[in-house]
Amino acid sequence: MKIKQVMDIAIKAGKILLTNGSEIYRVEDTIRRICKSYGVEAECFVLPTGIFITVIGKDGEPLSFVKRINERAVDLSCIERVNSFSRNLQKNILSYEEAIKTLKSIEEKKGYRFLVRFLVAGITAFVYTLLFKGTINDSIAAFLIGMLIYISKEKVSKAGIFRFFEHFASGLIAASMSVIAVKLFSSLNVYRIIISSIIILLPGVAITNAIKDALSGDIVSSLFGIAEAIFTVVSISAGVAIILSLGLGWI
Amino acid sequence: MKEIILAFMASLCPGILYNVTRRNLLWVGLSGMFGWIVYAWMLEVTGNVVFSSFLGAVVVGLYSESIARLKKAPAMVFSIPGIFPLVPGIAIYNSTQYISENNILESASTGIQAIASAASIASGILLVSAFFRITKRNKRIKDTE
Repeated sequence: MKIKQVMDIAIKAGKILLTNGSEIYRVEDTIRRICKSYGVEAECFVLPTGIFITVIGKDGEPLSFVKRINERAVDLSCIERVNSFSRNLQKNILSYEEAIKTLKSIEEKKGYRFLVRFLVAGITAFVYTLLFKGTINDSIAAFLIGMLIYISKEKVSKAGIFRFFEHFASGLIAASMSVIAVKLFSSLNVYRIIISSIIILLPGVAITNAIKDALSGDIVSSLFGIAEAIFTVVSISAGVAIILSLGLGWI
Repeated sequence: MKEIILAFMASLCPGILYNVTRRNLLWVGLSGMFGWIVYAWMLEVTGNVVFSSFLGAVVVGLYSESIARLKKAPAMVFSIPGIFPLVPGIAIYNSTQYISENNILESASTGIQAIASAASIASGILLVSAFFRITKRNKRIKDTE
């Protein structure tokens, strides 16, 4: 197989991992492993925003690729599949067409349907309200607000105004809806509803990945993850705080 | 008992939102459940939120690293939804609320509590994955010899 094709496979696998929220060391590991199973020595450097890979060809000419990564989401099943793909590759080599086809099917594989995720977002808020010792009425309010936030988050992130705007907007919506709910039914508890409905937005992935990256020596990527987590929390809190400053006197 | 079921759901639901495959969902729920049981138990015994979160995270880490080897999936599939019930949401929220009430002192103290809890969860996960990485490396060295 040509070196260019090997790099194509490696870059594609790396891109799927990185856009779906993998740690940096896993991306580098996978790229190296794929290149090695085709008998190519590759040097790669991965940042959360891009992949750089260079290979010295048989004639001594270096060949390099740069891939810029713009979008980042979390899809743990994609990571799992690419991981097992690269492990299987060490045992039995696939041809270029087969490998690209497999990766494409991983990339295009849709997870749970929107309706399921939408309901689950509501159930998450419901469960967390009960876990934080709220009443059943609080949970029902949180269920509705949780679903609303999920829709708004999906819609705003598709509109793509700027990166943290979806979190800011979700914070605004969560707080204002809770304040309205408490104004209507004064037995509800405003803070339990807000916490439970924004819990799905908290940056658990960013923080855990940042720590694991620090452990493997990728300090730059680790700082990136921590900064991302801080920005996310700050933008959610900013949205909530604006509404609370206005609304707490009103209810 | 009620709380245990809730904790199971509380990490299964984020698992679905993060698209965990169907055959792993049960194990994802158990991860959060074990973490929460240890957290709630330690909170009752010591009354220290930060230390309890640390132990909860250690349990989640141990569980997910071992189940990852059984199920041949990356450990992060189990650990990320697993730490969700431990995340200091209440402290983060309280800190925000105190700011909007212009109570800076209280806001700072709850904010520091939130940061400390997050850091303790982080170091719990860190400790376990560092430990597992050492054993993995030893194994790899043995294989190459």
